[in-house]
Amino acid sequence: MSGISLRKISREAQLLLVGIPVLLWTLVPIYHMFLFAISERDTATSGRLWPKNPTLQNFDIVFQQKHFYLNHFWQQMANSLLIAVAVGAITLFVATCAAFAISRLKVRGGRTVMNLALFTYFIPAAFLAVPMYKTMGVYGLLNNQWSLILAMVTIASPYCIWVLKQASDKLPWELDEAARMDGAGPLQLFRLVYLPLMVPSLVAVGTYSLLLAWNEYLYAFLLLSRDTDVTLAVALGSFLSADDSPWELLMATGLIYALPPAAIYYAFKRYMVSGLTAGAVKS
Amino acid sequence: MASVSFKNIQKAYGKVEVIHGIGFDIHDGEFVVLVGPSGCGKSTLLRMLAGLEDITGGEILIDGKVVNELESKDRDIAMVFQSYALYPHMTVRENMGFSLRLRKADKATTDQRVAQAAKILNLDALLDRYPRELSGGQRQRVAMGRAIVRDPKVFLFDEPLSNLDAKLRVAMRAEIKALHQRLKTTTVYVTHDQIEAMTMADRIVVMHDGIVEQIGTPLELFDRPGNLFVAQFIGSPAMNVFNGRVQGGSVQALGARWPLPPGSAAVEGRDVHYGIRPTDLGLGADGIAAKVVVVEPTGAETELLVEVGGQQLVVVMHGRTDARPDDTVHLQVQAEKAHVFDTQGGQRL
Repeated sequence: MSGISLRKISREAQLLLVGIPVLLWTLVPIYHMFLFAISERDTATSGRLWPKNPTLQNFDIVFQQKHFYLNHFWQQMANSLLIAVAVGAITLFVATCAAFAISRLKVRGGRTVMNLALFTYFIPAAFLAVPMYKTMGVYGLLNNQWSLILAMVTIASPYCIWVLKQASDKLPWELDEAARMDGAGPLQLFRLVYLPLMVPSLVAVGTYSLLLAWNEYLYAFLLLSRDTDVTLAVALGSFLSADDSPWELLMATGLIYALPPAAIYYAFKRYMVSGLTAGAVKS
Repeated sequence: MASVSFKNIQKAYGKVEVIHGIGFDIHDGEFVVLVGPSGCGKSTLLRMLAGLEDITGGEILIDGKVVNELESKDRDIAMVFQSYALYPHMTVRENMGFSLRLRKADKATTDQRVAQAAKILNLDALLDRYPRELSGGQRQRVAMGRAIVRDPKVFLFDEPLSNLDAKLRVAMRAEIKALHQRLKTTTVYVTHDQIEAMTMADRIVVMHDGIVEQIGTPLELFDRPGNLFVAQFIGSPAMNVFNGRVQGGSVQALGARWPLPPGSAAVEGRDVHYGIRPTDLGLGADGIAAKVVVVEPTGAETELLVEVGGQQLVVVMHGRTDARPDDTVHLQVQAEKAHVFDTQGGQRL
C-alpha cells in the first residue's frame, strides 16, 4: 500500500515540478499587466511587486474615455465585438455547410476543394496581407469593416472546415440513411439530425474563429484606418506610437480587452463535451 | 402492404460485379429471408430495395411499380438497421415520431401512432428516455417501433439481431415473428444466420456470390436442397458430404454401400457427392460399421463424431447412448433421406 502511495506521491511531485513553473511562466506577464493597471502613472515602472498606492483610477479614465488615445474606447470595443461575432457566425455558417457537403453529401470534388483551402496555410497569413489589401481595394471595401470580416472568414474557414469535416466523418453513416428512409431531404437531414449532433464541434469552431478575429491585429491595422472603425487591438497598438506611452492605461485597457475571450471560453466550455452520439448505433 | 419483384438485378462497384442478375418475387404479406454467407450480396440487394444503393441493371418493382429512380422516402418502405441507427439527440418518442414529423402529420395523429406502436412493442414506459439510456434489446425495439409507426408497404430488416446476445436474439426473433403475424406487412429480412432464416421465414432466398442458389420454404430447403451449397448451408450441424460413385443401384463410398434416394437422376458409374444429415443417420445392430471418435451428450440429444473409411461423419441421435470412443457402431441410412449431388456444379441429382 505505502509503496503505491509513495509512487503516487512521487508522480504527483514530478507533475508539480513541471506544472508550477509553467503556471508561473503564464501568470507572471498577466500579473505584470494587472500591476501596471492598478498603479499610478509615476510609480508604474518602479519594479515593486505590489504598488504603494493601488488605484482603480486608470480604469475610470478608460471607461470615461478621458485620454487622447482612448477617445473612441467604447466605439472600438463595439467594433471588435461586432467584427468578432460576425466572423464567428459567418465562418460557422460557411464551414458547417462545407463540412456537411463534403462529409455527408459526398459532393464530387469536395475533398479537393478542402485540401486546396488547407493548402493556403502553407503561406503565412502575413504574406497574404498585401494581396488581401489589394483585393479589398479592388472591391472597394477598404476602410469598411466588411473587409476585415471577410478577410478573417477567409483565414479561419479552411481550418474550421477541416475540423468540422473530421467531426462529421465520425457521425454514424446509418443515421443519414435512417433519416433518408424516414423521409428527410438533405436540408432536413442537415437541420434536424446533423446540426444537433455537431453542437460540441460547432461551439469549438465558432469560439476559435471568434477569438481569432478578436485577437487579430495585422489585418485590422491594414484594412481599417479611421479611428472610429478600427478594433480595440489596433487602438492598443497606437498607444506605442508616442515616446511617453501611458503604460498604465495601455495595461488597464489590455486587461479589459482580455476579459471577453475569457468569459466566452468559460461560457462555452461546458458545451464542448464529447459523447453526444452515445446510443445512436452499437459500436 | 405490397408485393415486391426483383427483375434481373445487377450491381457493380466500378468493374467489380457483386450481384449477377437476380430475379424473384415476394408476395403481398410474405416474410422472406435473404440468407447467405457474408459478401454474398444479400445486404446490397436489400439496400437497393431501400433506395440506399443505385441499381446497376434490372428493375425493382413495389406493388407493380418500378422504383429504380424513386428516392428512398418515396418508396414507402421502412428499414431496421443492424446498428439500430437511432437519433441520439431525440427521445424514444421523438425517434419514433420523426418520420411523421417530416411528413407534417398533426400532433394528435403522431402521438396516437407512437403510443400504438409503443404498446405493441412494450415501450410505453420508455418513451421519454434517450437511446443512450436503453439496453441493446430496447434500442432494437425502438428501431422497430420507428418502422411500425410509418405503417409502410414493406419492412426491411438488415441483420437486426446480430448485435444482441444469444438469449435476447431468440426472444427478439419471436417478437419479430409475432409482429409480422399481427401486422401482416410484407417483410424482407437479411441475415447470415440460417437458424434465424429457418425459424422466421415464410420463404428463404439462399444467396451465394451474388446469385440466388435456391428459393423455397424452410422445410423445402432442408428436405430437398437444390444443390450442394444449400445442402451444406442450411441445417445445423451441417450435412455430412463425401465423394462416391454410383454402382449397382447404390453409391459406393468410404468402403461401404450407401442407398440411392428414390427417383434420383444419378446414373450408373457416375461420380457424385453423397449427402446425409446428421439427424438422418441412425445407429443399429447392423449397417455400415463406423468407429466412434467423440461422444458429445447435450442432454436431449447426443452428437457422435464417427469415422468411416477415413472420413469423419457427424451423427445426431435422439436420447443417449452407451457408445464410447473407439467402440464400433453401425450406421443405418434411410434411402429417402439421402441426397446426391453432381460433382460438377453441385446440382441435385
